[in-house]
Amino acid sequence: MTYPDPADEPVPPARPGVRPFLQSGPKHSAGGYTPTGEHPPVEQGQSNTLRPFVITAGRTDGGDPDIGMETQVTVVPGAPPSRFSPETRAIVALLEESPISVAEISARLRLHLGVCQILVGDLRAAGQVDIQGIENDTPDPETIMRVIRGLRSIS
Amino acid sequence: MDFDPSANRVVGTARIPGGTAPAKKAPVPVKIIVAGGFGVGKTTTVGAISEISPLTTEAEMTSESIGIDNVGQATTKTTTTIAMDFGVLTIDQTLKLYIFGTPGQTRFAFMWDDLVKGALGALVVVDTNRIDDCYPAVDYFERAGLPFVVGVNTFNGNMAYSLDEVRWALAVREDVPVISYDARFRASVRDALLVVLDQALDKAIKMKS
Repeated sequence: MTYPDPADEPVPPARPGVRPFLQSGPKHSAGGYTPTGEHPPVEQGQSNTLRPFVITAGRTDGGDPDIGMETQVTVVPGAPPSRFSPETRAIVALLEESPISVAEISARLRLHLGVCQILVGDLRAAGQVDIQGIENDTPDPETIMRVIRGLRSIS
Repeated sequence: MDFDPSANRVVGTARIPGGTAPAKKAPVPVKIIVAGGFGVGKTTTVGAISEISPLTTEAEMTSESIGIDNVGQATTKTTTTIAMDFGVLTIDQTLKLYIFGTPGQTRFAFMWDDLVKGALGALVVVDTNRIDDCYPAVDYFERAGLPFVVGVNTFNGNMAYSLDEVRWALAVREDVPVISYDARFRASVRDALLVVLDQALDKAIKMKS
C-alpha cells in the first residue's frame, strides 16, 4: 500500500487551464468547506501512527460485503467483553453514544474507510455489533417517497 | 461499561419480529451521490444540505490508468487514497439520508461500484467553465443505470453556457434533467436533490411494474 499523491481535488481556482489531476500541490480534502485547504480535516498518512494494514492484521479485503459506507452500526447491549485492538475498542466506545454509519466511524476516528469496514466486520462476527444496511439494492418507491417528503419539509 | 446481559434488553413495544432487538434500533440508511470534477462545489453542496458539518473519510482505491485522459500511458494499477466528503440528513426516526460527495477523476474508476450500490440516485455537479470534468461521472452513471441529474452550479450567478448548450455538450439522454442550482443555498440544493429523487422514483416505479 503506497500513498502517492493523487493530486486529489486541488480546489484552488487559480489554474483553470490545467487538467486538475495534472496539477501538483498539497493534497487536501475534497471541496470547499476548508476554502484555503490549510487545515485538512484528515492529515494524509498521519492520522494514525500505524499503517492501515497493521491495524487490520494484514487484511486489505473487507470480507463482509454487507458492510457499506452508509451501513449503520449498533452495539449489541450486554455482549460479553472480548479482546480487541485499541482501534476496535474505540469503535465500540463511539457506538455507545448512538448508532452511526461506517463512514462516520471512519471520519471521527480518522481511520481509513476500508479499515473500518474490516474492523466492523470483526465486531459483527464476534457478536458485538449489529448492522443495518440499505434495505434493497433497488430502492423501493415507498422509501423514495419518504425521502421526498422529508426533504420537502426542510427549508 | 455495563455487561449485565439483562440490562438494556427492553424490547420496544412495536418491535415484534426478532424479539431481541437492540435497545436503540438503527435507522435504515439511504444515499445519494454528488459527483463531479474538481472544485465544482460538491462539498459546498453536501454542506448546504447536511445537518452536520461535512465529514471526510479516506478510502483506499485502486486507480486504473484507463480512460479518455491518459493516452499513451501504460496501464497500471496502483492503490491510492482519496478523500470523500459526506453529510447526513435525518428524514425521520427510522430513515437517514447520506449524501456522499465523490471526486470524479477518470483515473479513479475505483470503488464506484461500492459507492453506487443501493444509491437512490446521483447529482452530477457541473461548472460551465470546465464541463468536461464531469464526463467520467456521467459515463459511469449511464452505464450503471443509476438515475442522475446534471446540476449546473451557478456559483457566481453567471453561466458560461446555457443549459441547452450544456445538454448538447454532454449528450445525455432526453429524460436526464439538466438543471441549474446554487450550491451555497440550502433551498437550492434541496430542490436539486428533489429532482434527483423524482428520477429515482420514476425508475423505481418502472422497475416495480
